[in-house]
Amino acid sequence: MKYWLFLLTIAVSGSALPAFSHGTDLKYRPVEAMQIQANYDSGEPLKNARVTVYSPQDSETPWLTGNTDENGYFLFVPDRSLVGNWDIKVRQSGHGKITTIPISDRTELVNTPQQWSSQGVYSPLQKAVMAIMGVWGFIGTALYFSGKKRTKTNART
Amino acid sequence: MFAKKSFISLVSLVFITPIALSGCASPESSQPANTSETTVETAATDETGILKLVANGEDFVRQGFITKDGWQITFDNVFVTLADVIAYQTDPPYNPDSDKAIASKTKVFLLEGDKIIDLAEGDINADPLVITEVKAPTGMYNALAWKVVQSDNGESEDQAILLKGKAEKEGKILEFAIAFDKELNYSCGEFVGDERKGIVKDSATAEMETTFHFDHIFGDAEAPTDDAINTDSIGFDPFIPFAKDGKITVDLATLKENLDPATYQTLEKAIAGLGHVGEGHCKKMNND
Repeated sequence: MKYWLFLLTIAVSGSALPAFSHGTDLKYRPVEAMQIQANYDSGEPLKNARVTVYSPQDSETPWLTGNTDENGYFLFVPDRSLVGNWDIKVRQSGHGKITTIPISDRTELVNTPQQWSSQGVYSPLQKAVMAIMGVWGFIGTALYFSGKKRTKTNART
Repeated sequence: MFAKKSFISLVSLVFITPIALSGCASPESSQPANTSETTVETAATDETGILKLVANGEDFVRQGFITKDGWQITFDNVFVTLADVIAYQTDPPYNPDSDKAIASKTKVFLLEGDKIIDLAEGDINADPLVITEVKAPTGMYNALAWKVVQSDNGESEDQAILLKGKAEKEGKILEFAIAFDKELNYSCGEFVGDERKGIVKDSATAEMETTFHFDHIFGDAEAPTDDAINTDSIGFDPFIPFAKDGKITVDLATLKENLDPATYQTLEKAIAGLGHVGEGHCKKMNND
């Protein structure tokens, strides 16, 4: 459910304002963010669901709150100096779940999207059946075309 | 040609049927809830606080609600026999959607044996029922295992759950006593709700909650008709044929015998899905 990616942020800086007020300075820099994807079991996204982020430092006081977008995504930039388990709570209309993202000082950072770390895993039986189905797909396709070829051959004779 | 087609169809059926039957991830696991109990480590702290166990039928039970098919339901009693409740500190945190067992670092028995509780006890604004309060090492209790078992005494004798109350629709009022003898065994992660629960601090009290979602059986008129809470519930109408002299008295065996198989199957799944920790779902374990 997690991957690191580069995120461009636009900082609205008021710290270095010149003498004249109302001036605005726009800066940007790449940072690394964590993306959460929240779906129902059906695969439908949890749109605009309430998200609460707890840092390893304080498991009771929210470090950040926000909402998922229309596709069930939520993006945040954790403070890398706070090493440990980051807990993310997502709730909507009586449905909810908490997931934990362990971040250590050795956590490797990657710049390309990786596979989602999923909470909804398949059972071993389901995985086995899916593998067998894949193999059968190839066999079935081969049998179909070999039968078709033979039919055409028979039609010519 | 026909033989080959039949062969392909037959083999396809053999492979596809298990997929259709397995559907989404199985709600029931054969893995025992307390698999890692033999490797339990005790917390390396002398500091202790109090861990309070509560049971919550939510406002659906305390205040009543309108079912998906328009029956206004109010409960007089919701008897549940709660048993063998264990709180865990786990690392990594337990995920009820995974195949992994609770990785317990510290466990505390909150309820040994069983206890009959009435989730409808108190007024419409009553707090969740307090079941026990026990001394516990400090730390974050982020997993909970618990059971619902058949009672061996009282009004709900031989039943795991007994729902008593009234149903009203379009001027028609029916009393009901609906009994389920199905025993349930849950393995749950952290409580999901407005606040975080289970964080025991030195000399302080923390709470853990077993939550029951009875709208999973009857549906909820306030939710959209295509919401899972309505599509996966049976409503109240299927109980109407069992009414006699204004009262419905029915148990699970009678329902199994008389409901159409699809409705009964939906009911069975709904009963299995009653147990939660707040809004967090639990894994239904085998009872053995």
